Amino acid sequence: MGNENLVQDVVKEPYKYGFVTDIETEKIAKGLNEDIIRLISQKKEEPKYLLDFRLKAFKKWQKMEEPDWAGLGYKKIDYQDIIYYSAPKQKEKISSLDEVDPKLLETFDKLGIPLTEQKKLTNVAVDAVFDSVSIATTFREELAEHGVIFCSISEAVKNHADLIEKYLGTVVPASDNYFAALNSAVFSDGSFVYIPKGVACPMDLSSYFRINSGDSGQFERTLIIAEESSSVSYLEGCTAPMFDTNTLHAAVVELIALDDASIKYSTVQNWYAGDEEGVGGIFNFVTKRGKCLGKRSKISWSQVETGSAITWKYPSCLLLGEESVGEFYSVALTNNLQQADTGTKMIHIGPKTKSTIVSKGISAGNSKNSYRGLVKMGTKATGSRNYSQCDSMLIGDQASANTFPYIKSQQPNSEIEHEASTCRISEDQLFYLQSRGIEFEEAVSMMVSGFCRDVFNQLPMEFAAEADKLLALKLEGSVG
Amino acid sequence: MEIIEKIKTNKSIDNQTEIQKICLDKLQSSPLPNPRSEQWRLSNKSKLSNFLDYSVNENNSKFDIPYPKNSQTTLRLIIGENCQIKLIEKNYSIQQLSEDELQKYIKEQISCFNQNENWSDLLNLSLSCKNNILGLKINGSKIPPIEIFSYSSSNSLNAKTLIIFLEKNCNVELLQVNLGEDTSSLSQSTFFCLEENSSLNHGVVSYGVNKSNLLNSLNVIQKKNSEYNLGSLHFKFNYARFEIRIKQSEGNAKTNIKGMQITKKDEQISTYTKIDFDGPNGFLDQINKSLADDKSHAIFEGSIIVPKIAQKTDASQLSRNLLLSNRAQIDTKPQLEIIADDVKCKHGATISQLNEEELFYMRTRGITLTEASKLQLSSYFQEIISFIPVSKDRWDLLDKLLNEN
Repeated sequence: MGNENLVQDVVKEPYKYGFVTDIETEKIAKGLNEDIIRLISQKKEEPKYLLDFRLKAFKKWQKMEEPDWAGLGYKKIDYQDIIYYSAPKQKEKISSLDEVDPKLLETFDKLGIPLTEQKKLTNVAVDAVFDSVSIATTFREELAEHGVIFCSISEAVKNHADLIEKYLGTVVPASDNYFAALNSAVFSDGSFVYIPKGVACPMDLSSYFRINSGDSGQFERTLIIAEESSSVSYLEGCTAPMFDTNTLHAAVVELIALDDASIKYSTVQNWYAGDEEGVGGIFNFVTKRGKCLGKRSKISWSQVETGSAITWKYPSCLLLGEESVGEFYSVALTNNLQQADTGTKMIHIGPKTKSTIVSKGISAGNSKNSYRGLVKMGTKATGSRNYSQCDSMLIGDQASANTFPYIKSQQPNSEIEHEASTCRISEDQLFYLQSRGIEFEEAVSMMVSGFCRDVFNQLPMEFAAEADKLLALKLEGSVG
Repeated sequence: MEIIEKIKTNKSIDNQTEIQKICLDKLQSSPLPNPRSEQWRLSNKSKLSNFLDYSVNENNSKFDIPYPKNSQTTLRLIIGENCQIKLIEKNYSIQQLSEDELQKYIKEQISCFNQNENWSDLLNLSLSCKNNILGLKINGSKIPPIEIFSYSSSNSLNAKTLIIFLEKNCNVELLQVNLGEDTSSLSQSTFFCLEENSSLNHGVVSYGVNKSNLLNSLNVIQKKNSEYNLGSLHFKFNYARFEIRIKQSEGNAKTNIKGMQITKKDEQISTYTKIDFDGPNGFLDQINKSLADDKSHAIFEGSIIVPKIAQKTDASQLSRNLLLSNRAQIDTKPQLEIIADDVKCKHGATISQLNEEELFYMRTRGITLTEASKLQLSSYFQEIISFIPVSKDRWDLLDKLLNEN
């Protein structure tokens, strides 16, 4: 029993990104109606088709009901009490990073995100989103040499209207679900990536999302298009200050991979999770979906979810192209009163498609961690295969771990395999490691890290280090 | 849906018993299960309404048991026919439950019913007349194997209820046979209560003819150190639904389940299981197999619930499915809900077709494709059939499965 308490202590680690940046921001009035949507659209100087897209989505959203099937208990969100647009005040257009408010740069520095040019050694291009707007995108010239477009979605609306009009909303339609409809109506900013035919993106692309205001929601939208035979690795990170109110984050991410293209999308999500009593924290209701349109295309999702009061997130793959591949690697760690309902959907539509799901859930404290996934073999998915593995680790006897796999097959010439298991850090294992001279805390870390190995191996270098650090932070701390 | 209309207007049954009245009252506000709920979302709505489209038959026509009794020792009971049972032998006794005992038990059960989850039971108990409820109390040792029959007659809906109390320290082998006649519906609800140290080997064999429908609900409560083994087989139903709810109320109990459903033509057969561990040291080993051919639809949903109190639970659940036609459909959803941390829980699911390499190997040895497929299927079936107790040989189950249709 003694050991169990220690393990619980070890998983408690204060949130270190909880500071607020004191910066002048431009906010619009609270509330959601057609006028607000027109105002957002006007502020972003959007063309008419986009305004129509927003208004149509808003009409659909009004008719929809907030989903409750995940059984996540939370206080009803008052959608009229949210600010839908908040931006740090700065000059209209920035020609170089020198013009960015130093306070903002400082904020991202504090978060360990290199925006300034002298930090380019890390060789990762970053798009930094602060509340509702993108404030800076690094390495643009270098990327442009290869024909890669990496900018905020508002810029893309202005400069690459043809691509936006062609692809926006084709993977996640406005009416897809309640939160996607809300996002489609009010999305403020996000990243846009276009990799031209035959180009392997020379560096990892990254966007960093920071919520700063306590009363504004963040509704970003990301669109990544990989043309024939191209490839890209995209990283996403998120943090927020500590507020005792809940902030809504409803993002939409759309990926499109054409013939032989490959997209790797990695997330380290560390939004503020609320305090030990469950006060405050981000509601992370996100719709992420990729479409493997082309033959032999590949989309790979990997995620490390450690933050947010509530996570509701199912990065999915629509496998249309022949021999296309979908992958999902996930580690979700919940503590205190956090709730995570996450998983994936692998929809096999085309023939000879393959998918792999590896999900690791760790629940501690009074948290609730659920894997919910769908694997579907359509009638034309001949010769397709799926393999899923979902493991849960329980720390303490108050946390819950649930597994809800939905498996559906309409194609006899396909194979689906699913397995799930539940375990805990056993005293025997701890005792063994300790008897070999390994400190208690290190032993717990080793076991958790070993448990997550399959997923960490899939993360890009830059992120693997960050993820390891993040888990270690959550798991170390109070002891030693 | 004739029945539902009657329930709504409360005109379905004359001379209602108290139980019927309670259940009808519960059903009246929402007579049908919520089609969007997890338990009912995959259920074929038109088939369910077809199930309900017959008028209730309370009188039992003469029923011929399809197989002659060839063993003197087997006790055969037909729900609705054997009204008086009182067997008191040297080693054991099998007696009918008194009216009071029955009422008390059923009322207790109803009080914890959930409208969606126990809809089949509510419907059953509101339609099942006194004659069609069989309640038994079994005590002692060296109890002879028991066979219990339920059947539905053509063009009618028949509701049968079986309640069995197994007293402490007794071992019973029981085969339950549900037979559906052409164009008929059978609602069968079964309640078992296993006292300490008792063990029950339970077999359920259900099959129909064309257009037979079945709603089969099984509720088991297991006390400490009891063991419950279930082998079940459902086939040849236009629409069938087998619901299993097992509660290990004090922990320290053992449950083994091996079930199979076979669907052909445009049939839909589903199995829903819910295993509750309400105490420590519980054990579960479950395997469910489905085979779907032609345009049929097979469904399995199983949930294992392990609350904080159920430490040291060891539970495993496996769903194995064969999909043999590209117009057929299989849905499976094994699920785990765990709070206790010192547990071993796992589940697995596979959907595939017959193993091509094995088929190829057999064909190189001169076995025809048809024969080779049959061989593979028979090994697939045999695992389940061999688990069904009592006179399974006499029922030629394997032969029925492989050669009919």
